[in-house]
Amino acid sequence: MMTALEIVKAVSSGEQTAEQITRQSLAKIAELNPAINAFVEVFETDALARAQEIDAKRARGEKLGALAGVPVAIKDNILYKGHKATCCSKMLENYVASYTSTVVEKLLAADAVIIGRANMDEFAMGSTNQTSVYGPVKNPANLECVPGGSSGGSAAAVAAGMVPVALGTDTGGSVRQPAGFCGVVGIKPGYGRISRYGVISFASSADQVGVLSRTVADSAKVLEVIAGKDVHDSTSLDAPVPAYDQLFTEGLKGVKVGLPKGFLDGLGQDIKDKMHQAAEHLKALGAELVEVDVPYAKYAAPCYYIITSAEASSNLGRYDGIRYGYADNEAKDLNAYYEGSRAPFGLEVKKRLIIGTYALTSERYEECFLKAMKVRELIRDDFKKAFEKVDVLLTPTSPTTAFKLGQHSEDPLALYLADLYTCQGNIGGLAGISVPFGKDAKGLPIGVQFYGPILKEEKILNAAYNLEKSI
Amino acid sequence: MEITKKDVELAAKLAKMQVSDREAAIYQEQLEALFKWVAELAAVNTDSVRLTNVNHCAHMRPDVAVSNPALAAELRGAFDQEQDQCAKVKKVL
Repeated sequence: MMTALEIVKAVSSGEQTAEQITRQSLAKIAELNPAINAFVEVFETDALARAQEIDAKRARGEKLGALAGVPVAIKDNILYKGHKATCCSKMLENYVASYTSTVVEKLLAADAVIIGRANMDEFAMGSTNQTSVYGPVKNPANLECVPGGSSGGSAAAVAAGMVPVALGTDTGGSVRQPAGFCGVVGIKPGYGRISRYGVISFASSADQVGVLSRTVADSAKVLEVIAGKDVHDSTSLDAPVPAYDQLFTEGLKGVKVGLPKGFLDGLGQDIKDKMHQAAEHLKALGAELVEVDVPYAKYAAPCYYIITSAEASSNLGRYDGIRYGYADNEAKDLNAYYEGSRAPFGLEVKKRLIIGTYALTSERYEECFLKAMKVRELIRDDFKKAFEKVDVLLTPTSPTTAFKLGQHSEDPLALYLADLYTCQGNIGGLAGISVPFGKDAKGLPIGVQFYGPILKEEKILNAAYNLEKSI
Repeated sequence: MEITKKDVELAAKLAKMQVSDREAAIYQEQLEALFKWVAELAAVNTDSVRLTNVNHCAHMRPDVAVSNPALAAELRGAFDQEQDQCAKVKKVL
């Protein structure tokens, strides 16, 4: 399948119709999805009708949008009016969106074609895509391996060439980690860059919509379309959105790339070697490499699991059978009604709700939640100071490449460590991008990550664009 | 930080969820490992840290059990009927 920018060019020039492109995408999904399980629903009729509308618009001589005819997959926690949005949970198995999220509205306004719902970990809690009620997603690079998560369906759909672009959400690395595992580009902008209106909440202080694509230029274009202030989301930032691809430079002369001290400790040799190679590439591109100290960043993961679980315990309180979700109509009293109605949550979701609730009890509030919030401030300060010295930071995306399905299932802490390098971005509110940079000895993709300050997505996009071109 | 099965059951109850004995045992083991990791945060000196984004009271769970007996009695007294040290209300479902 062509890249998004190639599709826009082909559709705008009349070289191909949006309908032809949509049919190509649908055919690829029909061929590959039974093995990969990236999509939980394909909006075939809607997508074709939408493509025909775009073709009719062109035939009338009207100007087409910035994503004309581009098929886009949306993660199953992003609302699209009249379509199911289940968070891949039994809890929401019959939920149909009553309004459209801002990100999807913006995609539609840019003449993109929403092709279907992508599989994900239940309520975005997981890093393997094995907690979905629709079954696990397989990594297109090796069907015995996980694709990462929680936006595993989005990453796999792009990696397999079913769609050029997919939307995911990233609360602790859920766009960048699967992007790294599947060998595609994944960007999570800084907190507030994209509206969260119509995105089902997991942890509101960390959730961000992100983009997955095969090239950095595609991610840049989609980000440009969906970013910006939204009156429906008070946490969205009121700042101009640049044409990111216009800010790409040839080479990285004058760019300072920070290498955080100790970040390669304990990594496998394959990933360590790739990190050194990436640094050499950046140097060859003209960048200046600077060692920086971010001493509190190592505490990001425990902070992340306390803070996000606490926020989830509040956000997911709405699934009580009265406001949202499954209703246990056989219950004999109110407590039984609540408990019965919340029974469909899967094991991982239940566990996180228990963790969050426990951390918020009066006995544990200070030593757990409050402490984690205070350490979060120190981590933010760390990064703020680092960005006074450098433009971007270079880190691994994940400590390992994709592992086998079922591996680590008895050791959740090992799974939680998969987010080690990515959750720092959510705790700090930073912009982060994972870009593919070769493979390990087993042929599995390796991703490297750039971090940049909030509202400076152009810096990480430019670094990633140059690194991508240097391979 | 020691986590007991009772802690898990209490947290589940506050979160309005049922957990089976088997689930509680699994969660207890997993939570203990997680909270050992979280306990590493205690080593970080946060005395001078001022929070920029937290309203303390807003984050405290409203359904934490009231431990002050006088206050509990006063709250129950605001309702017409009482049963088993709980306020009794009309059936709402």
